[in-house]
Amino acid sequence: MTDSPPPLKPASPVRKTAARAAQAGVNVIWIVPIVALVVTLAIAWNSFRDRGSLIEVEFADATGITPGDTTLRFREITVGRVEGVKFTDDLSRVVVSIRVDTDVAQYIDEEASFWIVRPQVTAQGVTRLDTVLTGAFIEGYWDAQIVGDETRFVGLDRPPLIRSDQPGTWVTLSMDSADGLSEGAPVLFRGVEVGRVENIHLAPGDDHVLADAFVEAPHDARLTTASVFWDTSGFSLSLGAQGVSFNVNSLSSVLQGGVAFDTLVSGGNPVEPGHEYVVQPDESAARSILFASDDAERLRVGMLIDDSLQGLTRGSDVQFQGLRVGQVVDLAVTVEDDAQGTPVVRQLVTMAISPRRIGLPDDATAEDALTLLTEEVAAGLRARVASAGFLGTSLMVELVQIPGAEPALIDMETGPNPLIPSVEGDLDDFTASAQGLVERIGNLPIEEVLNAARDTLDSITALASAQDTRAIPGALRQAIEEGGSALADISGITGDLRAADTGQTFARMLDEASAAFNAVTEAATDVPEMVDQIDAAAAAVEEFAFAEISAQAEGILADLRSMLGSEDAEQLPRNLSNVLEAATGLLNDLRDGNAVGSLNSALESASTAADQIATSVQQLPQLIQRLQETATRADTLFASYGDRSAFNNELLGALRELRRATASIGSVARLIERNPRAFILGR
Amino acid sequence: MSVLDPDHAGPVPTAHRAGLIGCHSCGRVWPAEHQRCNRCGAHLKPPDRRGLQAVWAWWLAGLIAYIPANVFPMMRTQTFAGLAGNSEATIIGGVIELIHHGSYDIAIIVFVASIIVPVGKFIAIAWLATVAGRPATIEQAHMRLKVYEVVEFIGRWSMIDVFVVAILSALVQLGFVASIHPGPAAVSFAVSVAFTMLSAQSFDARLIWRGLPLRSKSD
Repeated sequence: MTDSPPPLKPASPVRKTAARAAQAGVNVIWIVPIVALVVTLAIAWNSFRDRGSLIEVEFADATGITPGDTTLRFREITVGRVEGVKFTDDLSRVVVSIRVDTDVAQYIDEEASFWIVRPQVTAQGVTRLDTVLTGAFIEGYWDAQIVGDETRFVGLDRPPLIRSDQPGTWVTLSMDSADGLSEGAPVLFRGVEVGRVENIHLAPGDDHVLADAFVEAPHDARLTTASVFWDTSGFSLSLGAQGVSFNVNSLSSVLQGGVAFDTLVSGGNPVEPGHEYVVQPDESAARSILFASDDAERLRVGMLIDDSLQGLTRGSDVQFQGLRVGQVVDLAVTVEDDAQGTPVVRQLVTMAISPRRIGLPDDATAEDALTLLTEEVAAGLRARVASAGFLGTSLMVELVQIPGAEPALIDMETGPNPLIPSVEGDLDDFTASAQGLVERIGNLPIEEVLNAARDTLDSITALASAQDTRAIPGALRQAIEEGGSALADISGITGDLRAADTGQTFARMLDEASAAFNAVTEAATDVPEMVDQIDAAAAAVEEFAFAEISAQAEGILADLRSMLGSEDAEQLPRNLSNVLEAATGLLNDLRDGNAVGSLNSALESASTAADQIATSVQQLPQLIQRLQETATRADTLFASYGDRSAFNNELLGALRELRRATASIGSVARLIERNPRAFILGR
Repeated sequence: MSVLDPDHAGPVPTAHRAGLIGCHSCGRVWPAEHQRCNRCGAHLKPPDRRGLQAVWAWWLAGLIAYIPANVFPMMRTQTFAGLAGNSEATIIGGVIELIHHGSYDIAIIVFVASIIVPVGKFIAIAWLATVAGRPATIEQAHMRLKVYEVVEFIGRWSMIDVFVVAILSALVQLGFVASIHPGPAAVSFAVSVAFTMLSAQSFDARLIWRGLPLRSKSD
């Protein structure tokens, strides 16, 4: 190891070569971090550049805005993202910072508008329901023109109804009040929606309301300076010269109002944006305002009349052959001297006549119209006052051809305007006819009719409240009750009959048989007769017309009652009883006298009597069946009277009684049928 | 040779001092004049501090790449096709979010794997490259060797973040419901890790022994 220093020596050449090698390696290896640095810097620069610029938008509140999530969209494409939300210095509003993509940031200039898109429910419908899922976003709108650089904006409180780049024309509407008109109300042209009303506000320092109306592009060409706007809000009901008119527009315009416009006359100039229109209260007002608008072109003529002018107003129509050619523009009084020199007060009516309306071309002037009128007057044209409309409370001026009129000319000298010769108006006719109408109405025997009607009603009332009428239900009820008591009697009698003691000894009976059986035979002959009568009664009941219920119900009951209370019916038990009594008497007599000798004949006659009873009794079931049928029919009939009426209840009770009585009769009959002899002989 | 024996106060012999040169790839020593390893054919390179330039170069490249790895988002999570929100998370942001959710363990794992380990590696390599070849005691030399070995060992585990992102983006592609996409930071992070590994590999461990004194301290 003593040689250790020498090996150190050759280290230096090695180091040199290593240094060279390292030198060579240096150049290569240092490229790596440089490349890494360049790449990183490039990425950093790229992302910094793509970061976009920051804009700030003020909103009243930041509902639904989440920093980092909420996007800024332009035509539904995301072009930015909200980075932060903060308050303004006075805490009254919020400022939303939005990072906008670089490529669109340059277009966001001072004309850009921003609003928050949320779900909305308006009179126009429900919109933007999708934002319920995705969350609210901020929508921006700006045009392609780069005007200036602006980074601070004030957001709109709600989405604008019309985007700023939408082609069309903005005009200003002026009205007395915005009643019924709401933001977003449609602008209609012949019923077609061509725009919207926005930004309704009070005119500064004035007492009317201004609103901006937007008319969409193809339709704004229909707007001229001669157009008129009118309010179509809600519905209108008017009673005027043309009668009653009731106008309802679309439901939408009832809800949120609306304005309509029309260009009724040609000759207007294209409108400049912001042209101010006065909104008329309704269409007829708008149409009449048209005539006042082109005053310069119109011919003003006057007429002098003596008639009353009540009903003729400024704005009344001037008609020619039923067509409206102008309107009354002034009413005045003039004093003239007539031929005798006495002053005469006459009314001067000034009219404005539109040359176009009387058939002259569009560019015709007032002179042309006057020339035409002069010719027409020479041919017999006269002016007169006529009644207008349906109730005739208003008047109009009529230009009519009066055949054979006195020749007259237009008076060019007297007044400020030419005077058209006038004739007597047909006003009086109207007044007369109106008066006649009123008189006829007045002469109508209204009072008599009313009195007669009242009398009729009184009679009906009296009839209804009469004692007799009221007594009907009572009588009915009484009848039913009587029927019930009769039935009870029958029942009692039947019971008595059954309970009657008929037990006599055969020996005694044999003794008294002969006379008794004679009496029995006598009595038994009555039974078929009685049965026949009951039969007839039942048939009569059967024959009743059931349709005439109310009328015949009482009759049925009476018949039933008479049938049940008839002598024969009552006599059946009584006869039987009498028979038994007589039999008893006879038997007593027989016992006293010599009866055995006449036993054979007595038995024979007894047999005959029993046979007769049997025959008659055989008819009893039929009778009973009939009675039952009658009762059932009456039952169903009265069931239709209703379940709960007192009448019905009574009737049902009576019928139950009747049925029970019938059953009793039936049992008696069956007893007799089973053993007539025992019945008679007491066994 | 009981070189590591602290009782031996003698000078530490190294191959370089013995006029030998070790092969970097197979470890065979050759006389210093040899340019090429006769056994494996590798180029023989004597230990030289100038070789540290490569370490520094890779280190710097790794450090540069590490910056975007932390600034850019690592993952983009999209739920319900963006309706329920997109979230982009950087490494630190993800750690903070995990802490907010209360997942402290995962947060610690992510933090250690993504912040502490890479940063520690940068510091360790820089320190090694600075002190390599400088005079040192044997204990210091051993310390440096241990640090170097740790850095070498950890290097292969540094890609754990990248793996997580790669696996998540492959697995969570549920279409409309949720999807995860790797962010630009994932690439940067991978590049950064690769550069630091190259940097650690370029470090010539023989330089640790190069600066040893010929005699021990007690001498």
